[in-house]
Amino acid sequence: MDDLIFALKDVYFSYLGKFPALRGIDLEIKKGQKVSVIGANGSGKSTLLQILDGLIFADKGEIGFRGRKLNEKIFYDPGFSRDFRRRVGFVFQNPDVQLFCPTVKEDIVFGPLQLGLEKNEIVKRLEKLVEGLGIGALLERQPHQLSVGEKRKVAIASTLIIEPEVLILDEPTAGIDPLTTRHIIDLLIEENLAGSTIITSTHDLHIVEEMSDVVYVFGMDKKIVKSGPAEDILNDTALLSANNLVHIHSHKHMGKVHAHPHLHIEHHNNPG
Amino acid sequence: MGALSFLKDSVFAEEYAAGGGFLQSLDPRVKAITFLLFIIQVLFARSIPALFFLYGLCLFLALVSRINLGFFLKRTWVFIPLFALFIAIPALFSTFSPGEGLATWDILGTKLTITRQGLAAAVTFIMRVAASVSFAVLLTITTRHIELLKVLRIFKIPQVFVMTLGMCYRYIYLFVSMIEDTYRAIKSRVGVLVHYKSGQNIVAWNIAFLWSRSLKLNEEVYRAMLSRGYEGEARVLDEFKTQVKDWLWLFSVAALYLIILWMT
Ligand SMILES: Nc1ncnc2c1ncn2[C@@H]1O[C@H](COP(=O)(O)OP(=O)(O)OP(=O)(O)O)[C@@H](O)[C@H]1O
Ligand SMILES: [Mg+2]
Repeated sequence: MDDLIFALKDVYFSYLGKFPALRGIDLEIKKGQKVSVIGANGSGKSTLLQILDGLIFADKGEIGFRGRKLNEKIFYDPGFSRDFRRRVGFVFQNPDVQLFCPTVKEDIVFGPLQLGLEKNEIVKRLEKLVEGLGIGALLERQPHQLSVGEKRKVAIASTLIIEPEVLILDEPTAGIDPLTTRHIIDLLIEENLAGSTIITSTHDLHIVEEMSDVVYVFGMDKKIVKSGPAEDILNDTALLSANNLVHIHSHKHMGKVHAHPHLHIEHHNNPG
Repeated sequence: MGALSFLKDSVFAEEYAAGGGFLQSLDPRVKAITFLLFIIQVLFARSIPALFFLYGLCLFLALVSRINLGFFLKRTWVFIPLFALFIAIPALFSTFSPGEGLATWDILGTKLTITRQGLAAAVTFIMRVAASVSFAVLLTITTRHIELLKVLRIFKIPQVFVMTLGMCYRYIYLFVSMIEDTYRAIKSRVGVLVHYKSGQNIVAWNIAFLWSRSLKLNEEVYRAMLSRGYEGEARVLDEFKTQVKDWLWLFSVAALYLIILWMT
């Protein structure tokens, strides 16, 4: 049980008391695991991730973090709060939300500064990340003037610089071009190999296999429909199409229009 | 919408704060103190030449801080009438400032006379507002928003107040951006030829909705700050450092203050 990072038992959450977003979630996340959460729009993925990051709190049920119960009160303790924020990093689905400083550079160093890291160390990490993500040219720009993909890269950098043990990413590759997606995934896998726990939500099925030891599929009823290793989930076409995760694709083949279910992964599993 | 973008640009532009002019290179604390001195002097100055001198000084400082003078004038003169007009205009007339008549109108049976004293009072007043607003604006555009908040903290303004101010600032920014986006969205759905009047109507209808949406976004931004370890007081990378230049500047401003005080 030592290596259990998160343990959720029968967690319920609703917005403003009337819009249910999670209905009885049970899950366990172990240290060093890659976990992904997939599901249709509005199935509760972002809500779950924000609960894991201690930003909102369940109406009912229990959330355990390394053997302690996460609730609003525990964050009043500055010692715990700082320790938690240092251990757990979160990349928001909407990068506009995450970037609030006047320049990109200030935004990236915001986290480590608040957490009281050494200046030299911060600068060192900054340089490394800037190079890895290729965002050197953006540093003095204003975050709200960037393109969606650039914003997302900056948002990811602003979280990675904290070097958290647990990385929670809400759709990290949405709106990002294929090559950059590749870079980000490589970066995350590197973090994982170094021991980080990585939790991602995504609609991007072709990153699921690489990004998950366990996949949780969220259903329209805001419950977990199925969980298991990536290959089991990705081969369950009926399940995927019932949850809006595959679409019917029309092609033109020699002048004729074909329509067939289309799995995103099919293209990407092939090398090259 | 043009007016809105202008307002947004002028209130939220941070590019000048990052620029490498004279004022930008000063320690924000020293800068804030000296600007406070300037504003106090402006508010208590009774001589018109002194006011003109201070206003000129302000424009000169803007110039050596590489601020586009056109931008600066536009930006300050947007606010000046707001403060000045409603208070100064009544003072022009004899009803409020009795004295020697310069010009007289007869409007609907009420006799309005501009008096010499009234005119002098109005010019003094407008110059006072113009100079103090200009100094305040110059301080805010040459200092980063976060640094400004930090200076407030150093002057022992309670943290709750500074935090609220920071939040309001962000909130208003989000709100204005959202109105802009919505306007653009309407334009894209209704077509470019949407009459600005009907566009405004739609915006007006949606204002309550926008309000709650930007409130929600503001809440999320706050969460994002929490998530990265924010504990109520933002830390900035470049700690403030006072250099010889800052002290020189401080002393020259203090000396100037005394000279003007003595001369008038
Ligand atoms: N601030 C809010 N107020 C009210 N209801 C909300 C709010 N945020 C989310 N919801 C509702 O909660 C449910 C779950 O939302 P959530 O954002 O967790 O979904 P998601 O799986 O992340 O969706 P997506 O794939 O679109 O990001 C949805 O039905 C949504 O309508
Ligand atoms: Mg989501």
